[in-house]
Amino acid sequence: MTTASDDPITLEIIQNSLQATADEMFAVMKKTAMSSIIYEVLDMGTGITDGEGALATSGAGIPAFVGMLDKAVKVILQRHGQPGDIEPGDVFATNDPYYGGVTHLNDIIVAMPVFVGDRIIAWTANIAHNSDVGGMAPGSLSGNATEIFQEGLRLPAIKIISRGEPIRSVMDILKVNSRMPDVLEGDVWAAIASVRTGAKRLVELADKYGVETFARAMASFMDFGEQVSLRELKTLPKGSFAFSEEQDDGRIFNVKITIDDTAFTVDLRDNPDQSRNPVNSSRDGVMICAQMIFKSLTDPYSAANEGSFRPIRLLTRPGSVFEAIEPAPHGFYYEVELRVYDLMWRCLAPHMPDRLAAGHFASVCGTFIGGIHPDTGRQYTIIEPQLGGWGASRTGDGNSAIFCGFHGDTFNCPAEINEARNGLYVDRMELNMEPGGEGKFRGGRGIVMDYRVRADNGFLTVGYTRSKFPAWSLDGGHEGSPNYVRYLGKDGTSEHYAFVTGLTTHTDDIIRVITGNGGGIGDPKERDRALVAEDLKNGMITPETARDVYGYVR
Amino acid sequence: MAASTIRVATDVGGTFTDLVCFETDLVTGESRLTTAKVDTTPPDFELGVLNVLAKGGIDPKAVDFLVHGTTVVINALTERKGVKVGLITTEGFRDSLEIARGNRPDFFNLHYQKPKPFVPRYLRRELPGRITYRGAELRPLELGGLPAILDDFRAEGVAAIAVCFLHSYADTSHEKAAVEEIQRLWPDVSVVASHQITREWREYERASTTVLSAYVQPTAERYLSRLAAGLSAKGFRHSPYIMQSNCGVDSLESVSRIPITMVESGPASGFWGAAELGKLIGEPRVLALDIGGTTAKCSLIENGEVKIKTDYWIERDRTSSGYPIMVPVVDLVEIGNGGGSIAWVDDFGKLHVGPKSAGAMPGPAAYGRGGTEATTTDANLWLGRINKDYFCGGEIVADMEAAEAALSRVANKLGVSIDEAARGIIRIANNNMVNALKLVSLNRGYDPRDFTLVVFGGGGPMHGVALGKELGVKKVVVPAGASVFSAWGMMMSDLRRDYFVTRLADLRSGAAAGIEAVFADAEDQARAQFGAEGVDGSRLSFKRYGKFRYQNQEHTTEVLIESGTITDARLGDIEATFHDTYEREYTYRLGAPVEMVGIHLVASAEVGKLTMKERAPSTASSEVALKGHRDVDYALEGVDRAAIYDGTRLEPGMAFSGPAVIEDPGTTIVVHPGSRGAVDGYGNIHIELIGGDRK
Repeated sequence: MTTASDDPITLEIIQNSLQATADEMFAVMKKTAMSSIIYEVLDMGTGITDGEGALATSGAGIPAFVGMLDKAVKVILQRHGQPGDIEPGDVFATNDPYYGGVTHLNDIIVAMPVFVGDRIIAWTANIAHNSDVGGMAPGSLSGNATEIFQEGLRLPAIKIISRGEPIRSVMDILKVNSRMPDVLEGDVWAAIASVRTGAKRLVELADKYGVETFARAMASFMDFGEQVSLRELKTLPKGSFAFSEEQDDGRIFNVKITIDDTAFTVDLRDNPDQSRNPVNSSRDGVMICAQMIFKSLTDPYSAANEGSFRPIRLLTRPGSVFEAIEPAPHGFYYEVELRVYDLMWRCLAPHMPDRLAAGHFASVCGTFIGGIHPDTGRQYTIIEPQLGGWGASRTGDGNSAIFCGFHGDTFNCPAEINEARNGLYVDRMELNMEPGGEGKFRGGRGIVMDYRVRADNGFLTVGYTRSKFPAWSLDGGHEGSPNYVRYLGKDGTSEHYAFVTGLTTHTDDIIRVITGNGGGIGDPKERDRALVAEDLKNGMITPETARDVYGYVR
Repeated sequence: MAASTIRVATDVGGTFTDLVCFETDLVTGESRLTTAKVDTTPPDFELGVLNVLAKGGIDPKAVDFLVHGTTVVINALTERKGVKVGLITTEGFRDSLEIARGNRPDFFNLHYQKPKPFVPRYLRRELPGRITYRGAELRPLELGGLPAILDDFRAEGVAAIAVCFLHSYADTSHEKAAVEEIQRLWPDVSVVASHQITREWREYERASTTVLSAYVQPTAERYLSRLAAGLSAKGFRHSPYIMQSNCGVDSLESVSRIPITMVESGPASGFWGAAELGKLIGEPRVLALDIGGTTAKCSLIENGEVKIKTDYWIERDRTSSGYPIMVPVVDLVEIGNGGGSIAWVDDFGKLHVGPKSAGAMPGPAAYGRGGTEATTTDANLWLGRINKDYFCGGEIVADMEAAEAALSRVANKLGVSIDEAARGIIRIANNNMVNALKLVSLNRGYDPRDFTLVVFGGGGPMHGVALGKELGVKKVVVPAGASVFSAWGMMMSDLRRDYFVTRLADLRSGAAAGIEAVFADAEDQARAQFGAEGVDGSRLSFKRYGKFRYQNQEHTTEVLIESGTITDARLGDIEATFHDTYEREYTYRLGAPVEMVGIHLVASAEVGKLTMKERAPSTASSEVALKGHRDVDYALEGVDRAAIYDGTRLEPGMAFSGPAVIEDPGTTIVVHPGSRGAVDGYGNIHIELIGGDRK
């Protein structure tokens, strides 16, 4: 019998346990968080890195957060490089894209070194969207911000717990800077509980199998991830592919992707300068988009780690929208990242018809509604992404009403809970029957949701993209439909919004959220007649559409 | 007067219909056990039940208590063999069933397929009317559109109607009115409203639950009425009880109306059995593990109580969001790891076990029915853990050539010996099960070292000791009749109903009266329901649980509330218990205000459960049961010469030491070196783990 330390079964068991640990950290966070965007929307992620900050495994959650935690740990290590800077029981936090935070200030990453003796064998880390971290607007996101200083409290990879004891001054600063101090405190503690739980499990694993074996298991897991990626990379079409696309705000984004046997190179250098508005991304953020599309193309079914992403090369230009430099604001970074993710997808789709479907609604459709709950008198804040339609593939219709490509095992808020918690009415939540997405295979439907406001002096902030240019189609299918908000005032006014910050809301106003249908594939006239008849029976299309677009005669 | 009481449990599975019968002598209190097995007889399942009674030599006339477990509901769901359902819901929400929760668990997969709703859009219809979350009427229900909807349903061949309105958990009047009108307009149709099944919030989950109950109701009702008629024709004088997912039994009438509560009844009886066994042997903290052919299921029992939750989904895994069923189901974790789970090597030379299973046909390679893939059972055989000359209790001649061929394919891909590959399969399978057991224990703040591991099902006793060592449990218990333990659990069940009601209340002075009223209402409802079935209120016992959280949180922590009227003076104690429970589970506590989100009331009545009698220890030594010795490979501990005992000849009081293997027709118990076993007065085998693990 081989010794336990180089036995492949032992390594396999350790790797399985790493994934189970990341899952457990996720479960802890989900059950204890105070913000609905964490516990319901699950706008969060957990992960484990090795001692140097290389991603060993990701938990569940949202794909856009998978490749984020390693970047934070690397910055924490770099900024705490002196002996004694990092001790057992310490916990660190960062939320700043200029300090390993990758996204925007709302997302606090909490990371904990895992010690065996005086050696750091791993880090457990956790990222989650916090409801309010200060800044110029409730919820901290404002379309009017021109500098990151206006977007909330900046935590530049700092220590928040020292040798197991919370650093009270730091905790006080955190709390006092939030408009929702109890919620922020609860969420940060949920994150701490999550990384502590993970750390405990990893110590048990390392004790059981030995530190060397533990480290070898992590390294071999990463090598395994690289092997999978390289093998799949070989099956992709080779060459250089380029694409340019106009955005809703008039900017033109360009991408060039070069694929060879060993590298997947994404060149984003030829793009506009960074914006004064909060529609910029960090280089790390764009890297995550490249990682997501690469993972979906190569090995969508297994867990991601550092090795999975080794073949990616990313080229960006400092000072551009995709590598913004301080103090550019980042609030709506996710829409910028989604645009570049969708751009890469669209660039490659015609060349990889079996792997990539037509475009989806492709916006987080982040919706922020706040005010006073008329029954409890307490402040409420809704922060939610929306469901929308996905594009048709070569083998079938797109899904209706699921979250965009940035979200994963994310749940929408039930109307019954929404009404109780937030004190407004959800008058309807149904599929969007606007035209769009017709084809041999059709795009899935977006949604229409009516929020009826029950008190005066609340606010609405939204930032939707794909509002002017809807989901793209392929092979003669029809484009999808746009994402937008229709604001129906009680006074009879009707306004259309894609971006609005701090709009004042009144009793009985209706905020109608409308998300797009996905793009279609192929000529609608080629659609299976039985499917057209079924769509008609289900009221998914009108008789006119059946006749005029699908050429359907009963 | 009869000299004995006869209790029978019958269990209809996909392949076999099982019977377990206890005949208890009223004078001595001793019970005689009979078991029998026949083929399941679809579609006339009641025939199988009558057959198995006949095979067991049991006269239905003499049976005093019969409890029946069946997979009819879960089968109808997974095989999509229910009826056509029409859904009537609140205006603006017909698409709720299709929108679902919008999640995409398989998140890097851009070809994810959202599960298809059980009711197509054209059969999802709306009525105006609105209740608020506080149960007030915002807009009256308008039934004017109903006749036209029902006409459409009739024309489309709808056989069952589900009604689910927004906030009906807070006020049921609109749903009741709609159901009454439907029954008036269409008396023959099967109809069910969401409040009849659950009083908890979340409209999609409640609608899904109601639709799935409607979907299986006509099928299940037909099944149950034919069962009752068949039994009655043979002279059975009582009404059978039906096993439920909440570990209780319920009356046939009640289950016929709302059959969805049977959905997970199979595993429930085993876990209930483990809890009852724990009480019997003085082990209130039990980790229960049931290993079958295709899956392993586990659950944690604390203070002799199983945990019941309403967060149950079918067909949900890493690649699909599944369908929610919000009924009381025993809290369990299930993984695709059983005796028939297939071992396979991926393109990168990594070994996996399951979730694909060889099933009953062809089964493990060693069954000799043409199976070519190595399973956990093949590995157990190869390593000498299962006796190749006593395979499946001697009913099957083990095809060792087929097992060798299957295992050598795995070994070649891994580049190791067959022995090494077989050990690897056992270790990976054990690791999968250890992770599942950690999910129900460590993951919820419980330390497995404080628990006793109870293992049952065909495979449980084979892996139990290894798992127990890995988890560091106090000891491992293999119950008598481990392979039919679920049926024993049925016999120990009470008539039980779990009531979950969503009701928000801040836990502060003045709140007690409102909280007490919710419990009292639910208790009145329980008394009325039980009373209608002839169970007197005085026989009922209640257990009250509150679901609490810190204000602004979503997920709740369930806390037992001691009996007695809830007063403001008691709220402090209740809150303190919540803080303690919360901290144990999540490592910290907060000073934030606490709120109640709802209640969980358990109402139960004993309806003739079995009382076990302890036998006196035998004076003989376990030597009398010793069949011989053989080499057994214990994987991590290597090969050892093991004593082989005949389980049927082990008597109370006998003791033995590992390395050993206990064999009886249904079970093989693998006892690792350094552990010690003893038989208790009920025939259960207790295995103490000594010495810790060797690496």
